[in-house]
Amino acid sequence: MQILKKQLLTLGAESAIYIVECWGMTLALKWRPSKPYLHNEIDKLLRTSRTSRECKMLTFARTLGVPTPAVHSVDISNHSILMDFIEGQQFKHLVNISSKKRITTLCNEFGKLLGIMHMSNIVHGDPTTSNAVVDTKSKMWLVDFGLAEKNATIEMKGVDIHLLRRAYETTHWDLQETMLESTMEGYIEISGDDAEAVLSRADEIRERGRYH
Amino acid sequence: MSLLCLGLEGTAHSFGAGIVSSDGDILSNIWHMLSPAEGGIHPREASRHHSDMGPGIIKRSLEDAGVNHSDIQLVAFSRGPGLGPCLRTTATMARTLAQKLSVPLVGVNHCVAHIEIGCLESGFEDPVTIYVSGGNTQVIAFAGGRFRTFGETLDMALGNMLDVFGRTIGMSFPAGPLVEQAAADGVKYHQLPYSVKGMDLSYSGMLTAAKKLHLEGVPVVDICFSIQETAFGMLAEVAERAVAHTKKNEILLTGGVARNNRLTEILEGVAERHDASFHRVSPPLAGDQGAMIAWTGILQHQAGDELPISDSHVMPKWRTDEQDILWRCRF
Repeated sequence: MQILKKQLLTLGAESAIYIVECWGMTLALKWRPSKPYLHNEIDKLLRTSRTSRECKMLTFARTLGVPTPAVHSVDISNHSILMDFIEGQQFKHLVNISSKKRITTLCNEFGKLLGIMHMSNIVHGDPTTSNAVVDTKSKMWLVDFGLAEKNATIEMKGVDIHLLRRAYETTHWDLQETMLESTMEGYIEISGDDAEAVLSRADEIRERGRYH
Repeated sequence: MSLLCLGLEGTAHSFGAGIVSSDGDILSNIWHMLSPAEGGIHPREASRHHSDMGPGIIKRSLEDAGVNHSDIQLVAFSRGPGLGPCLRTTATMARTLAQKLSVPLVGVNHCVAHIEIGCLESGFEDPVTIYVSGGNTQVIAFAGGRFRTFGETLDMALGNMLDVFGRTIGMSFPAGPLVEQAAADGVKYHQLPYSVKGMDLSYSGMLTAAKKLHLEGVPVVDICFSIQETAFGMLAEVAERAVAHTKKNEILLTGGVARNNRLTEILEGVAERHDASFHRVSPPLAGDQGAMIAWTGILQHQAGDELPISDSHVMPKWRTDEQDILWRCRF
């Protein structure tokens, strides 16, 4: 493959994302660089397993009807994935500039997408508003599947919901109640009776790990 | 004229009394840790320890600071989170002193105090704090008027995991430093469960796997080495996620486990990668002690906070993000 143009889009905690021109298309290249401060065996294992997991889970979620970037090419030895570039904005940034009505609609959609994944026993693993992208036609896409898992138990789904709530608390503290409420409405709409066990587990998880 | 505050800390196994001035001078900081001959910490025994040792420690902190009890203008105590019996014993001493000396009383959040004393020492203004001890593993940063927990353990605290593993293989409490010593001689890495969930992490699976390696006869030094590399690597990842997310440029490491040199080295690597400053709180101020309570008490009092004795019940489950941090409104 020939990459004609390469431009850094974001430098995250575990990866760098570049916008590249390749095969006549604009694509996103996600690369997991080495972390010199980690033990090299752990570093290598994480970069390899997360790259391969991300490819599989992006594709699997897509077959369920969850909008995710299509994977075009993967280079396991270089720990990089070439995928669709979603032109739009992170949900996180949209929250600050959108009307309450729009935020509610987007949260509802976010909840539905998580519900769809949970109903097929997969978890996202890092469901924050940074990992939802809203494109120019207002369609929501989920990205960053490096921590996603299959064969999810109620515990794993509970953790997913706990992480989502935590993200609202830390990042959207002034709107957290409204956002959580509409997200849960969307989630319950999809998962129906299965939601109750997951949501009560999420409450339980929240109380763990603290001094009692 | 600077104000003197006596701070009492007694949330878990240590009791401490420290005297700090409103200029940020630490005049004294005396503490004593309950160290059982075997096994872990029992809340009842710890509270007994505090009531036995407390008065003597308070007296020594006054002597050490070279001040008289009548010079104390404010009493602050660790109101939570922590073990109920320990908190109540400490609160009783604080209330009595405040009444006897006729000075205001302030209730301080233990986790917030760890951050504030770290900021005092480092000169940091607005860090991402990694607070790791026997009872806590949290990644905390200031946002929207409060200290918010961006990530934390979903089960055991890092220090607790090290202690419990150490106890399994016959080390005494606290085992963390002994695990670090043993790890220095480790050579072979054995894979252990690496469990990061978003910005949260989990250590219980790793503890079980490490115990299993021990039963299989893997050398203790190699297990300790593998535990440190994996557990600290996980912590580095959540710290890195918090830094990337908040875009803050200071990383503060505090709590009892901050003494660990390998953990420090790893977090320095994280800081370097994100062009952030790094500070490890010095051992006397990183553990549980009274100076952090006194200093935070001063900050709170200067922002107008005062706790009437009738409302001064302890809060064992007081979450870090439940308190409005009035003195930091400038951020």
